[in-house]
Amino acid sequence: MSLRIYAAFLFILLLAGCQGTAERPVMKIGYMNCNSEAETLTRFRPLTQYLSDKLEIDFQAIPVDTQDFPERFAAGEFDFTHSNSLVYVIMREEQQLELLATEQRGNYGSRTAGAIIAKKGSGIETLADIKGKRMIFGPQLAPSGFLAQYDLLLREGIDPELDIAYYAIPSGSFKHEKVVYAVYFGDYDVAAAPALDIELMTKDGKITADDFVILGQSPIFPYCTFGARKDLDPDLIKRFRQTLVDLTETDTVDYQGETLKVLASAWIDGFEALQDSDYDYIREMAKRANMPPYQEF
Amino acid sequence: MEKRFDLVLGALLLLCAVTLVGLLSGTGSQASQRDLRVDKALEQEIAYQAKVSFLERLYAPVINLRDSGQNESALLQLDELSRKYPDEAHGETLRGEILLQLGATQKAIGHLASAVRMNGDYVDKQSPLSRRGLIERLLASELTKFKQLAADNSASRSSQAALKDLYYLQGRLAGGCE
Amino acid sequence: MRLALRDPHTWFVMLAGSLLGLAGVMLAVLGNPQNSGICVSCFLENSAGALGLHNNARMQYLRPELIGFVLGSTLAAIGFREFSSKGGSAPLPRLLSGVFLIVGCSVFIGCPIKLFLRLTAGDLTTLTGLLGLVGGGWLGLKGLAAGVDLGRSSKKSDGSGFWTPLLFVMLLLFLFVRPGFVLFSERGSAAEAAPVLIALGIGLLLGAVAQRTRFCITGGIRDLMIMGTRAPLFWGFIVFVLVAFVAGLATGNFRPGFYGQPGAHLDMIWSFFGMLLVGSVSVLIGGCPFRQLIKAGEGDADAGLVVIGMFLGAGLVQAWQLAGTAAGVPLYGKIAVVIGLAFILLNLLFFRDRAVA
Repeated sequence: MSLRIYAAFLFILLLAGCQGTAERPVMKIGYMNCNSEAETLTRFRPLTQYLSDKLEIDFQAIPVDTQDFPERFAAGEFDFTHSNSLVYVIMREEQQLELLATEQRGNYGSRTAGAIIAKKGSGIETLADIKGKRMIFGPQLAPSGFLAQYDLLLREGIDPELDIAYYAIPSGSFKHEKVVYAVYFGDYDVAAAPALDIELMTKDGKITADDFVILGQSPIFPYCTFGARKDLDPDLIKRFRQTLVDLTETDTVDYQGETLKVLASAWIDGFEALQDSDYDYIREMAKRANMPPYQEF
Repeated sequence: MEKRFDLVLGALLLLCAVTLVGLLSGTGSQASQRDLRVDKALEQEIAYQAKVSFLERLYAPVINLRDSGQNESALLQLDELSRKYPDEAHGETLRGEILLQLGATQKAIGHLASAVRMNGDYVDKQSPLSRRGLIERLLASELTKFKQLAADNSASRSSQAALKDLYYLQGRLAGGCE
Repeated sequence: MRLALRDPHTWFVMLAGSLLGLAGVMLAVLGNPQNSGICVSCFLENSAGALGLHNNARMQYLRPELIGFVLGSTLAAIGFREFSSKGGSAPLPRLLSGVFLIVGCSVFIGCPIKLFLRLTAGDLTTLTGLLGLVGGGWLGLKGLAAGVDLGRSSKKSDGSGFWTPLLFVMLLLFLFVRPGFVLFSERGSAAEAAPVLIALGIGLLLGAVAQRTRFCITGGIRDLMIMGTRAPLFWGFIVFVLVAFVAGLATGNFRPGFYGQPGAHLDMIWSFFGMLLVGSVSVLIGGCPFRQLIKAGEGDADAGLVVIGMFLGAGLVQAWQLAGTAAGVPLYGKIAVVIGLAFILLNLLFFRDRAVA
């Protein structure tokens, strides 16, 4: 009798062992580099680990440069995407990317905006004053560092290609902070800065609210966005989205021997499930500014 | 002996009563009575008015920017002030108002509810700080919307939190004991 | 049931219930906070604030109804030769019971009377509070059945029963003379009030009627558990609920639902525990906060000590921010309720005459 019990126990143990060592599927998430690959991986690996734990899939975090993102996604290098909202729109139009959830951060939550700033006391008080001045933009595919400001100028009757003395885009990492400092130190007269970066720099005490004049700011539009390849299992897409929107600031993950707060380590306040139609304003801006995915030559 | 002691007690009691009547009818020190009258209620009112005027002075740059349509700059001023006075109710109210104007409704709801949690004056009809009208309009325009959003399975925690905040504001507007 | 309704006393108790229900709704219509036409714990918190026992500037008002309840009871007791000084039973436990009665009420946001005023106005968040009150009553009864006894109040010839009514006479003077140290809120829920004379008049009437009928909410629930529908208090309680419901409906104050209710929160588990505390304390000391005021008015110094404890508790729950608000129950409020429940359990242990069980 007892031998039978031992045999049954052994069998159950074996079964449990089989379950534990079963290979989990491997999938890749492409994360858009904001500043550098190292920073991107440091930020998003704990979140990736959390998603792996929750969805029982071994996710791998792949850092991707902004300009390469649509192309590498089209080449099938990753299944899920985390990119800015303009890159989302491009991939949505070109690859029918599935919208998952939008990141929340800063004053506007799941939305953001682009601002045009000048140094206080520089004599530049309105958008009309920037004609003939030197301007610095963020990277070209940045919706709140380039597109929103470019569109804002066009809507104000200022053609950046003709009416500004010249404009530039900084090289290397930390481009958004660089444009703010470029105006602060007088290298440029006007800058196109994301509202979020100005907010964070003010909160960190790097700049003060009185250092700059905000000449104009775009309406708010969706911030960085998670997407999924269209041919993935709909149930997985649903669970991925739900896992993101259910995240709270107290959720933790065990990562490399440490217990980390998932959202805080990714510098995120939360996620919201927006509709694709919420991105229409980005589409309108891209059309007006003749930018991808609607660029015409 | 016992009877005499009772008489003495009675007489002393009568003396107490006469003194009390005298004090209450104004034969006591009028000045000391006046001193007392100036105290608590007035001081409480002075402290409140001082608080209101301090808040007005503190947030004047924010209010000026907001009133001149420079909402974005006003927000930056608030960010700056919140470093010195984090989680301050009036700052939360102003942030809520500005974000509402900028279309960030969900965040605005959170800030307004947080302000009312910290200080019920914002839903009072009588208070100089009252934002009752704004909150009534907010509820009229957003409550149904957020109910629908929260009913959606994939509604995020933040939408559910916003709905909870709206219910909280609705409860505060409904009145009742605090 | 037929037996109970044949008794004229039952009809008198039902009249008391109907007056309480009607007054509870009408005082809110006349200016008291919504669903708080009558709330002994809220009135005590307001009055404690007025006397400077806490500094919440939104909760300071010497509620005339409260003064009316005690003095109405005194006048009725004197008029019907029922006033007699008694006391001497477990003074400190009674004082602390008063404190914990208010802790429980404040976490729930309201006394047992307000529980039913809120419920009949459609506030469904009170349902767990109701369960807690019934559960607390049951716990208290179990304790009494097991031999728990704080000791009987004995008749005194020392006039100690006059002190509580005299204290309330002083409060009445304060209400009209308004000395500088008494505070009256100009904003917040304490600034919402029915006209003073009407509130005082209603308080006196209810105090007198409650003294004559021994009307009590937890008493009604307790008697239902002991005697079933034969209990007159139960019928009074039923009429109170019905009248409050109809009056709420007639005045347009019936809004059923869980959300957006005035002076309510969604921490319903803590509403349960708050009222569990109130129910058990009430049964153990012989009445809810309202009944304690009435008993104190008719010369019961033990109840007077409970009233002092309730004042103390009312000051503490505001000063230490233990009270529940529309935002929920604060951590220390929850801790205070748990301590209160431990207090009850300890009393059940200490005051149990094991020979009875």
